[in-house]
Amino acid sequence: MIAVEEPELEGKLIRPYTITGGRTGDDLPLIALEALISATPTAFRLRHQFRWEAARIIDLTRKETALVELAARLDVPVGAVRVLVADLASRGAVTIIDPPTGIATTLDGYMYTNLLRKVLDGIRSL
Amino acid sequence: MGSEASNPGRPTPVKIVIAGGFGVGKTTFVGAISEIEPLTSEAIITQASAGVDHLPELNTKTTTTVAMDFGRISLKNHLILYLFGTPGQDRFHFMWHELSKGAIGAVVLVDTRRLEACFAAVDFFERIGTPFLVAVNTFDGERPYSLDQVREALAVPAGVPMAYCDARRRVDAQAILAKLVEHALATALESVHAT
Repeated sequence: MIAVEEPELEGKLIRPYTITGGRTGDDLPLIALEALISATPTAFRLRHQFRWEAARIIDLTRKETALVELAARLDVPVGAVRVLVADLASRGAVTIIDPPTGIATTLDGYMYTNLLRKVLDGIRSL
Repeated sequence: MGSEASNPGRPTPVKIVIAGGFGVGKTTFVGAISEIEPLTSEAIITQASAGVDHLPELNTKTTTTVAMDFGRISLKNHLILYLFGTPGQDRFHFMWHELSKGAIGAVVLVDTRRLEACFAAVDFFERIGTPFLVAVNTFDGERPYSLDQVREALAVPAGVPMAYCDARRRVDAQAILAKLVEHALATALESVHAT
């Protein structure tokens, strides 16, 4: 790749990645948009060590909150939040609750149909 | 990865995609049933530029910001359902893959005044095998076409459920989501029994 020498673009498109130290997270496992992020008890001890955006993530995830919702509430692109969340997870400050991956992969058919029944029941009782 | 789903104390996130052409009422549908005001998050996509107005030796990339609208519904049994509206414009179709990955299913919203805006969504979900249904949005109660006519016009396969809905009404959105999950469940049971 020759893109390293690319001149910096101006404005909002690039700025968000300054909060991640320029990392785009391409090297990290992709956290699903709807994955729930949850602060651990450790998070509040470590909170002061993090920059503003990461500290806000700790605050917002006292109650489990989806990755995509963190991005919206912080007004930061999803990719940048992925990097911050991955950092927080590696420091033990948050846990990531992955969504079920469907019938073709991890969940066997019985578990998946069971999950769908619960979802259906939940929607009907709204 | 999926083992958390069986942990009773923790919530399980699930999602449904709301697709359809630009301006068909996707965000209205999400807003009608979401427990939060629909939120918008942005993803920045970097792609090698395919434009004809670039000199190839510059190796330029383009960055595009794609906005995604979504809502949330907390269900009993520790389930949190996220509803994602797909970006309507054709040039953002590449985002549909990420949005659809792991989705229970998709609602394709249809405006009968602009049927052609929904072809891409019907094609897409049929191709990737995501269970979907077609919901005909009845703006102001208009039902100029029967569901069979819409099915024929959009070439919707026989097994795909179709229904009318008023995307502004919560009960309609609820009924559509229930119908979709019933369909997804029937599809899943079929494939379980087939194996």
